[in-house]
Amino acid sequence: MPLELLLTLVIGGITAIAVVLHLTGRSSQKVMTAAQAREAWLRQFPENHIAQLTLAEDGHAALVQLEDDTAPLGLVWSFGADTVARSLHDTKATRAKHGLHLRFADFSAPQVLLRLSAAETDAWLRQIVGADARPRAPKET
Amino acid sequence: MDHLSFPDVTQLAVPIFIAAILVEFLWIALKGRGGRYETRDAVTSLIMGAGSVASGILLGFIAWGFFMLLWRITPLDLGASVWVIALCFVLDDLRYYWVHRFGHRIRWVWASHVNHHSSQHYNLTTALRQTWTGTFTFMMVVRAPLVLLGFHPALVLFVGGINLVYQFWIHTEAIGKMPRWFEAVMNTPSHHRAHHGRNPRYLDCNYAGVFIIWDKMFGTFVPEQESDPVDYGLVYNIASFNPLRVAFHEWLAIYRDMTQPGLTLKQRLAYAFAPPGYSHDGSRDTSATLKAKHLARTPKDLGTPGF
Repeated sequence: MPLELLLTLVIGGITAIAVVLHLTGRSSQKVMTAAQAREAWLRQFPENHIAQLTLAEDGHAALVQLEDDTAPLGLVWSFGADTVARSLHDTKATRAKHGLHLRFADFSAPQVLLRLSAAETDAWLRQIVGADARPRAPKET
Repeated sequence: MDHLSFPDVTQLAVPIFIAAILVEFLWIALKGRGGRYETRDAVTSLIMGAGSVASGILLGFIAWGFFMLLWRITPLDLGASVWVIALCFVLDDLRYYWVHRFGHRIRWVWASHVNHHSSQHYNLTTALRQTWTGTFTFMMVVRAPLVLLGFHPALVLFVGGINLVYQFWIHTEAIGKMPRWFEAVMNTPSHHRAHHGRNPRYLDCNYAGVFIIWDKMFGTFVPEQESDPVDYGLVYNIASFNPLRVAFHEWLAIYRDMTQPGLTLKQRLAYAFAPPGYSHDGSRDTSATLKAKHLARTPKDLGTPGF
């Protein structure tokens, strides 16, 4: 197949599929309830015991505190129509215009921008920074 | 027979791929079942597919040069009759089974294959979420016996292309089960859904390309269970739709693991070549430990398929 035709087909095809999906509402982010957020965390970390889960008002993220109080906080968030979860160990949290910007030391999960109310932003930042300052259990070797 | 040419079936199938994706999406939208689509996930998969074709065009000469070198060495030439093509197709499918199995059991090869499993969706776009870095796994050596046996390199690549095109249609939730005889012999949407599962039961199963018989022969077959719906994606899902991150994240992870201070040479090599999930301090899970931990939580699953 001539390269020009192949390129046209590929670019045209990707564009057409993207437009159709977007226009039919397939670009919206998953909105979680607290129970769904809990389930999403346990889907990733089935051995964890969750002590407290704080769901963002928009349902796109939740902060997770484990029963093991030496464990770092966790975050579960909407990733397209699905969810992902990460420990907040080694995470940089900064204020953004409408919430928090988290940067992970993880090439496969580089960052997430959380849309939070002003009160939520203050509370979440306090929790994240507070948890970061806690003494940790020594790492097993 | 030095000059033999066959069509590039994967490129010829591009219009069919695009049309089939639109048909599958329409079917799901109209019926309200049979799978899910998400815009960024689908676009990422499609870009990975396009990048894979581009990588084949740019780097294909390496494998081709290797095969032609073998072709010059071998005294055998089986020609290109219909029976030779059919035999080559079956043997190449056996080759695919083992390359795919290595792709899940050797981290160096997994680094290339992981991107195909990185979507949490399972639809026809997932089929096109293909590697950009396959050349660097050096898995072309597994094709060497076919060329040395007298199958022309062009024929070997041709049947490999048909194998990949066959696997396109099995990436769907829109088809439940095929007729029993077909499920018994061929790789089907049901068998391949299980392969894409991150559930402990489905880890490291159903490596087949076209014929599921290889999994049955080599003990890796796990039938899809109604009682354990497939949860698609990676054990540790990625959180990026960026194709560069999808393509290279595991390679970077290998580099970071291998260059940690204080490791022995054996440990460094194990980070590259041991099964995915290996860690020198036991802090991570392999598929074996994930299965064991699942059984500790759910002992009733012991003895059921996959455990």
